[in-house]
Amino acid sequence: MLVQQLINGLTLGSVYALIALGYTMVYGIIELINFAHGEIYMLGAYMGIITFGLLTTLHLTFPTSGAALLIMMVMAMLFCGACGITIERLAYRPLRGASRLAPLISALGVSIFLQNFVMLAQGPRDKGFPHLFAGEGIDLFGSRISAIQMFIMATSVLMMAALQLLVHRTKIGKAMRATAQDMQMASLVGIDVDRVISATFLIGSALAGVAGIMVGMYYGLINFFIGYIAGIKAFTAAVLGGIGNIPGAMLGGLLLGLIEALGAGYISSEYKDVFAFAILVLVLIFRPSGLLGKDISRRV
Amino acid sequence: MRRGRVWFTPIAAIAVFALTLAHAASTIKLGVAGPLTGDQGAFGQELKNGAIIAVEEWNAKGGVLGKKLEIVLGDDQHDPKQAVAVANKFVNEGIVGVIGHFNSSCSIPASTIYHEGKVVQITPASTNPQFTERGFWNLFRTIGRDDQQGVVAADFIVKKLKKSKVAVLHDKTTYGQGLADETVKALKKAKVKPVYYGGITQGEKDHRPVLTAVRQKNPEVLFYGGIHPEAILLTKQMRELGMKAAFVSGDGVWQKEFIDIAGKAAEGAFITFTPDQTKIKEAQGVLKKHKEKFGSDVGAYTVYSYVATNMLLDAIAATKSTDGPKLAEHIRKTKWNTALGPIQFDKKGDVLVSPFVVWEVKNGKFVQVK
Repeated sequence: MLVQQLINGLTLGSVYALIALGYTMVYGIIELINFAHGEIYMLGAYMGIITFGLLTTLHLTFPTSGAALLIMMVMAMLFCGACGITIERLAYRPLRGASRLAPLISALGVSIFLQNFVMLAQGPRDKGFPHLFAGEGIDLFGSRISAIQMFIMATSVLMMAALQLLVHRTKIGKAMRATAQDMQMASLVGIDVDRVISATFLIGSALAGVAGIMVGMYYGLINFFIGYIAGIKAFTAAVLGGIGNIPGAMLGGLLLGLIEALGAGYISSEYKDVFAFAILVLVLIFRPSGLLGKDISRRV
Repeated sequence: MRRGRVWFTPIAAIAVFALTLAHAASTIKLGVAGPLTGDQGAFGQELKNGAIIAVEEWNAKGGVLGKKLEIVLGDDQHDPKQAVAVANKFVNEGIVGVIGHFNSSCSIPASTIYHEGKVVQITPASTNPQFTERGFWNLFRTIGRDDQQGVVAADFIVKKLKKSKVAVLHDKTTYGQGLADETVKALKKAKVKPVYYGGITQGEKDHRPVLTAVRQKNPEVLFYGGIHPEAILLTKQMRELGMKAAFVSGDGVWQKEFIDIAGKAAEGAFITFTPDQTKIKEAQGVLKKHKEKFGSDVGAYTVYSYVATNMLLDAIAATKSTDGPKLAEHIRKTKWNTALGPIQFDKKGDVLVSPFVVWEVKNGKFVQVK
């Protein structure tokens, strides 16, 4: 049972981590909690279904369902990335000089808008997600790890590794780090801050899009409301790890997934969220800036 | 331009006010309340559609008491606080009766407001016993109660399936936990003690952790108190984890999506629900109209809402009054012949005969178990 719960927890945690990255990257740069981020994830899942529908109506057949999946993921990444940039441009950029509360309210507005838009455009009922994984999975120490669980963990790790490379090894990554440190100073030395912020939203949203597709496949069921809970959980993961800190979001996501799985399995499923949030409170009491968060006194 | 607006505003306000007054006097308003938007929006729409069909039929016959009927919608978003707000709005607007709400957790707090406002409330969907247990004269339900439903489910598990290792899960809502508890009560009477009892969270997508814990107890049956989105995930995930236990649940799961989305995992699931509506002669009209008007088959609660609306309107026509106590009196003493078959209410406002039977998912369809 322990191994099974660890597998459950790690799968869930890697999804939380992927979504949490979007929160943390945006916060790291413009100190905005982007509450619409959960909705981007939901859009990614819907884009996956729509792409799949298009592929079937066009009678495009593929040698493997893997190819279809790849196309769905690319489409979701492009679409969500574009949505992220548009939202930033329309809802956050005009408010950049305003008080910190204004863009926060704007983010909530975007979230409500997107939810209701999808409800009206796609209907309020649950939608089934196409079955693309036939694999049975393998047995491991008396527990079962399914093909899709392996796929989710592998994809998440791959995405996170790619992100680390991007942030630490490329020019745009360097510009992002500079902007996160001091936006004004960065623009003084010739960094196009607007472009960096757009790039941040693009990357964070594309990751959420991938998460949407993976979760859609994992549970086989999506609706317009899935972004809400996922958003809250991912936000918690980001805060747990230290908001603004990229490895922190990954750690926070995995930890949250594990705590939930072990708490539900060994103590009580009814109190699953209580454990998750109790640990969050404890961490914040002893380490106010999260597990890997930097000391905030720097800003003062 | 600016000066022009100054005198225009009060006149416009008076005109609008006069219009609403004139409008109010010429129609009879009835309230339809439920989660019309939000993640349970689909259920609210079922209630709404049933009421619309009934009202259209009455309006085609010329309305009641010489007035046309008008539906006022109240969206409670399955939030008890919203439900109370909707109830207050309804009472202030002077509606003659309420069809709704959907969730027991909404119907119960809202009913207090309707009781104080002397307004009749008929719920087509709330099954929690507490709704009618508080001695209010104004409450009715066209659906059964969870203690009736729980007995049917427990009986089926013990006598028909002959299983004694039962795990019980619920979604922590008034309805879900209520149904689970009633079933556990009935199981215990039959000397069956659940091997696992626990709750999950509505809207949560991953139930593998709790299912892994349930699997540890090797249950032969998993009973779930809740609605279909979680039931879909539970059945899929328990099969993925290699669990062979039979899945048994209540009326909240009797939805087309359960089969469509859960697919193979739904096969062999047992659901307690009311008898097949397509076999009732009186229901043919509403089933056909729904197909014509909305292009789909009725949902689980559409006909309940249709019947509830008809009862209310019939009471208005028969008593020639819109007075709450008179309407309630008429509804209580009448022997109804409805699209759900014959219905009679007891003192509390519950249906006299338990309407629940067991259905099984067979080859992608709900089939009534004999």
